[in-house]
Amino acid sequence: METILFNLFAALAVLSALLVVVNPLSRNPVTSAMFLVTTMISISGLFVLLNAYFLAAVQILVYAGAVMVLFLFVIMLLDVEETARRKLRVVSLTMGLLSVAALFGVYKSSLETTYEKDLGSFEIDGFRSEHFESVSSIGEKESFVTVGSTQALGQELFSSVNGFILPFEIVSILLLVAMIGVILLSKKELK
Amino acid sequence: MSEQLKFVQLEMMVVALGLIVLIADLVMPPSKRRLIGHLSAVALGLIFLFSLRDSYVGLINESTDLFFNSRYKIDGLAIFFKRFFILAAIFVLIFAVDFADRIRSGISEYYAFIIFALAGMMFAASANDFSMLFVSIELITVTFYILVSYQRHRLQSLEAGVKYLILGAVSSAFMIYGIALVFGEAGSLKFEDINAKQSELLGSKVFLFGMLFLFAGLAFKISAFPFQVWAPDVYQGAPTPTTAFLSLGSKAAGFVLLIRLLVFTIPDLTREWTVLLIGISAVTILYGNLCALPQRNLKRLLAYSGIANAGYLLMGIVAQSEDGTAAILYYLAGYLFALMTVFLIINLITKEGEGEDISCLENLNKRSPFLAAAMTLAAISLAGIPPLAGFFGKFLLIKSVAVEAFGNTGYFVLLAVAVFGVVISIYYYFGIVRAIFWNHKADDKTPIFVVVPIRFALICCFAGMLYLGLLPNKPMKWVESAAVSLIKTTAE
Repeated sequence: METILFNLFAALAVLSALLVVVNPLSRNPVTSAMFLVTTMISISGLFVLLNAYFLAAVQILVYAGAVMVLFLFVIMLLDVEETARRKLRVVSLTMGLLSVAALFGVYKSSLETTYEKDLGSFEIDGFRSEHFESVSSIGEKESFVTVGSTQALGQELFSSVNGFILPFEIVSILLLVAMIGVILLSKKELK
Repeated sequence: MSEQLKFVQLEMMVVALGLIVLIADLVMPPSKRRLIGHLSAVALGLIFLFSLRDSYVGLINESTDLFFNSRYKIDGLAIFFKRFFILAAIFVLIFAVDFADRIRSGISEYYAFIIFALAGMMFAASANDFSMLFVSIELITVTFYILVSYQRHRLQSLEAGVKYLILGAVSSAFMIYGIALVFGEAGSLKFEDINAKQSELLGSKVFLFGMLFLFAGLAFKISAFPFQVWAPDVYQGAPTPTTAFLSLGSKAAGFVLLIRLLVFTIPDLTREWTVLLIGISAVTILYGNLCALPQRNLKRLLAYSGIANAGYLLMGIVAQSEDGTAAILYYLAGYLFALMTVFLIINLITKEGEGEDISCLENLNKRSPFLAAAMTLAAISLAGIPPLAGFFGKFLLIKSVAVEAFGNTGYFVLLAVAVFGVVISIYYYFGIVRAIFWNHKADDKTPIFVVVPIRFALICCFAGMLYLGLLPNKPMKWVESAAVSLIKTTAE
C-alpha cells in the first residue's frame, strides 16, 4: 500500500513539476502556477508517508496556500502575458545538461559512500551488527513516531527542560522589530 | 518553566519596556514624545538599580548557573555585561531625545528599537548555546540595520544602512555556515558539550573550519581586521546616537560572545590559534591607528579609533587568562564613558547638514569651558594617558599579555605593536585637543547651551572616567570577580 502511494505521489510530483516549466498544451503562467500547487500537494503526500505529519500540513498551509497566493498575486498584478516560445540555444542547453550531470554525479557518489560505510561497519563485527540491527529497528520505530509528530515538534520548540523555548521567544521579538522597521523605512511620507 | 522565568527577569522587563514605548506612542499626543524618551531612560535606570539588588545577584549562587536546557547562563560575566549594556542604553536614550529633531519621523520607535537592541545584547551576554548566540546576534544586528538608516532624508544615512545590511548579512551567512559545520561535527549546539569534547574535536578539520567561519562572523561585529571595512562609512553615515550604541553595545556584545567561546568553551583551540589571534590583534591595532591619522571627520576618526580599540581588546583574549578577561571588562567600562562623552559633544557642536569636521571644535574653550574640559578629558582617556580610565584599561591589557609573554616570542611582537599604536593614537587624539584650545580660525563665539539631561549624562561620564582612573581598587575587584567566576566554571 505504502509503495503504491509513494509511487503515485512521486510520479505526480515529477510530472506536474515538468508541466510547470514545459507544458505542451498551455503557455499561460497561471496554468503553470496551478501545476506548482499539484507538485506541492504531492510532496506533502510524500511527507505523510514519511510520518512527518506536521511538515505535510505546513507544506500545504505555507507553500500551497500562502506562497501560491503570492505567486498568483504577482502574476496577475504584473499582467504577465503568454510568452513567445523561445528558441533553445545550443550553449545554454549543453551548459544546463552538464550541470545536471555534475549534480547527479555528486549525488550518486555521496549515496554510494554512505552506503558502503554502513555496510562496512556491519561486516566487521557480526555480533555487533546484529545488536545494532535489533536496537535500530526498535529505535527507528520509536523515532518515527516521535520525530515527525506535531507533539514532538511542540516539545522541541516550547519545552523549557529540553527545548528551544528561549531562542524561539527571542525570534518573536526579532520578527516584531523587523516588521516595524520595514513599515517605518518604507512609509511614504515622512511624518 | 515558571520557576526559570526569574532568571530572565531583567530581559523580560526590558522587552516589556520596549512594548510599552510602542503603545505609549499611540496614546500620547505628539508634543509629549520627548517625555517618552526621558521616561524610558528613567525606567532603564530603575532596571539597572534592580540588577544591583541582592536578590538578582544572588541568582549566581544557585546550585546551577545554566537554565533553559543549558542555553542560558547567569554568571558574574553575564551580569557585568548586562549592567554595561543597560548603562550604555541609558546614555544613548538621553542622547536620542536630544537628537529627536533630526530624526523627523518615528522618534518613539527609535527609542523602542534602542531598547530592543539592548534586549538582544542582554541575551547575548547570557548565551551559552549556538542557537542563543545566533538569535541574539541577529536581534542586535537587524535592529541596527533599521537604526543606521533611520534618517531617511539623508542620503548618507541610507547609504550606511545599505552597506551595513549587505555586509552584515554576509557575515551572518558566514556565522551560520560555521555553526552548521560545528554542529555537524560536535553533534550538539551547547557550549558545555563542545567544551567536554574539545580535545577530540581539535583533530577534525571540519570543526576547525566551522570555528574559523564563526570567528569571522564575530570579528565582523567587533570590526577587527580584515572585517573592518564597513565601520568608517557606517559610523559616519548613521545618526549619531546609533553610532554611539553601535560602537559600544554591538562591539561589547561581540566581545562577550568571543570571551565565552574562545576563553571558556574551547581554550585548547584558542591556544592553538594564538599566532592567528596575535596577528589579527596586531594588524587591527596598526590599521586602526594609522588610518585614523589623516581623518578630519570626527565620526570617521572615532570609527578608526574604534577599530584600533577592538585590536587592544583582542589582546585580552590572546592573553587567555583571568587577568586578560578582567582587563577587557575594565577597558570596556572606561571606553563607555569616554566614547559617550565624545559623541554627546560632537552632536552638540555640529548642526544638521554640516560635516562633523574637526574644525567645528575650534573655540570650544570659549564657547563652553565645560564642554571643552569634558572633551579634553575624554580624548586623554581614549589616548590612554594617566590618570584616566583609558590608561588603566590599556595598562591592564598590556600587562595581561606581558605576563604570558615568556615562552612565546609572538607576544613580544604584539606588545611592541600595542605600545607603538598607543604612541600613534596620542597624535590624533591630541589633534582634537589642539583644535579646541589652539586653533582660532573660526570666529563663531556663540555660547553653547546644554540642556539638563545632557549635562547630567556628561557629568556622569566625567565622574566615571575619573573614578575608574583615580580609584581603580574597587572597580578592579568587580571586574576580577566577574572574570573569576568565569574561570571557576571552566575548571569544574
